[in-house]
Amino acid sequence: MSTLQLIGGGFATVLTPTGLFLMFIGVAVGIVFGALPGLSATMAIALFLPVTYAMTSSNAMTLLMALFIGAISGGLISAILLHIPGTPSSVATCFDGHPLVRKGQAAKALGVGVVFSFLGTIFSTVLLMFIAPEIARVAINFGSYEFFSIAIFSLTMIATLSSGNMVKGIMAGVIGFMFSTVGTDAIEGTARFTFGLTTLKGGFDMLAVMVGLFAVGEIIGAAETSRHNDEEVTQPSMKGVKGFGFSVKEFTDQLWNALRSAAIGMGIGILPGIGGGTSNMMAYTVAKNSDKHAAERGPLGTGRIDGVVASETANNATIGGAMVPLLTLGIPGDTTTAMLLGALTLHGLTPGPLLFQNQADVVYGIFAAMLIASVIMLFMEFFGLRVFVKLLSIPKYILLPCVFVLCVIGAYALKNNMSQVIACLIFGALGFAFKKLEIPSTPFILGFILGPLAEVNYRRGMIRSNGTFIPFLTSPISAVFLAIAIFVILLTGTKTLRAKKKAAKQ
Amino acid sequence: MSFKKCRDLILGIVMLLFSGFYLINAFQIKTRPKLTPSYASAQIMPVLLGVLLAILSVICIVQGIRKMKTADGTEEEGKKKDKGDIMAVVFTFAVIIGYILIMPTLGFILSTLIYLFLQMIILAPAEKRNYLLFAIVAIAFTALVFVAFRIGLQQLLPRGPIESMLGF
Repeated sequence: MSTLQLIGGGFATVLTPTGLFLMFIGVAVGIVFGALPGLSATMAIALFLPVTYAMTSSNAMTLLMALFIGAISGGLISAILLHIPGTPSSVATCFDGHPLVRKGQAAKALGVGVVFSFLGTIFSTVLLMFIAPEIARVAINFGSYEFFSIAIFSLTMIATLSSGNMVKGIMAGVIGFMFSTVGTDAIEGTARFTFGLTTLKGGFDMLAVMVGLFAVGEIIGAAETSRHNDEEVTQPSMKGVKGFGFSVKEFTDQLWNALRSAAIGMGIGILPGIGGGTSNMMAYTVAKNSDKHAAERGPLGTGRIDGVVASETANNATIGGAMVPLLTLGIPGDTTTAMLLGALTLHGLTPGPLLFQNQADVVYGIFAAMLIASVIMLFMEFFGLRVFVKLLSIPKYILLPCVFVLCVIGAYALKNNMSQVIACLIFGALGFAFKKLEIPSTPFILGFILGPLAEVNYRRGMIRSNGTFIPFLTSPISAVFLAIAIFVILLTGTKTLRAKKKAAKQ
Repeated sequence: MSFKKCRDLILGIVMLLFSGFYLINAFQIKTRPKLTPSYASAQIMPVLLGVLLAILSVICIVQGIRKMKTADGTEEEGKKKDKGDIMAVVFTFAVIIGYILIMPTLGFILSTLIYLFLQMIILAPAEKRNYLLFAIVAIAFTALVFVAFRIGLQQLLPRGPIESMLGF
């Protein structure tokens, strides 16, 4: 089948009354989760997983992709109106977004944010549609050596880059890896760390771990501050606003900035470990440094749409980037894509090069859903803005208990008994402890998910090579990934040491 | 001494103990030498991980001790940041554990009603405690969720007296 036929097929799967309905719901809920500080895209997907259990895999992925896109974009609403980023992905949106509000240009800031979020998503999705099948075609020849090295590469990237402290980051990754070794061994079939308990034979469920660590841990953490937090929401005035609130000239002025930011976002999305939280900052910094109008219009940060454009284009372009390793190799680069991996597995799909051969309809359905969901997002976010702003004023002490009940249902539904609910609670407590000790939880999750991939492929590779590690180093692709991993560790290590020496001198 | 000051030291010690515990159990994994050679056994990765965590723990302990020596001046700042609402966290933990313990006997509806009501009281600032509102939200949300999941999605939920009365 030609690519065009596949794309057409994708649209046909998604453009059903059910599909459209699910996308509307997904985008709307996603925007709310993105806009509310403390709720994230990861949590939105976690909470909606139980809803998808009974759906077809295409419908399930349609809903979840709509949630993802809505949640990444929704962060701009609170970033601009509250000066609080709803998600880490929209931190840089605050810098120019809020000054624009103070100048009385709230509608323009929001309009620009929404439109460029949309363009960022479309740009990265279209690229994804062309890049991913090519990578899958190459990856189909990957064996144990390559997959081991890619897993190790991803793990080191995540552990070193996702936190300020390399030792704690690697530690979190190792502990996550350790938790993944509990259960029946995949190769030898022997029990590991089960302590005679039958419930532990199957190991820990990926979804229970993630819901516990992110949703439950987050709620317990929020208990600490919820009694003292009150945020005032400014209601934007929409009077006399035409179209999206900005002129054609202003739009064309931003195209180069948008293209550059989208490329940065996409590139960062593809690399594991650094997601939307980094891409919006990086795109903003690049926009600021290459700004030619600083003299006449004032530097970035004083309320220029350039800043909003850079941040919002980049963070949404990261979505398409992050989907590349997830779909082609089965490797999630951040927690949101880890959730999506969990969802795919739950529906009996194994992301990786074979997915493009065996279930091309699902893959192209996902692409189509991303495109349509971003169109829905564009209109819903702009014209439904008042409703979303109203929702921002729901107090946390009402919202969080309701979110927790949904987590409990989700965990219960995994096995239809309380065992996973209890596991979820244990991982929630662990998540809270991590927060207090400043251990990043993202490397933990990815260690838990990528650990088995690394272990199984290491052992299979060693069996194939009769006990020598040399083929891992002589296979070109494997060697490149291992070399980058070592390079990243050395680079981060020397950087930390240099910073320490500098601090000691002062 | 504040918690923040010796946090890394505590973390390092706990992790060192954990890696010891993990390693002891790792050496007890039954391998099948006839089936898989020792370089690819079920034991190899756990042993590696245990050793790696032990090394990281030692680094963490050393860093923690160094930090304690140099952190004298910055303690004031740390204290301010650490001042969270510990009681709210303890109560939240308590109601969550209670919720999970009573759910199998009281069923989803009753236990969720009680949980939501209590949890909102714990999280709300004293001057914003509106018991009537909390009761209404608890009832409405429980009803919504039950209808959506049990009736709409056919998802089984723990049964109790109210569920029996309603015939689910």
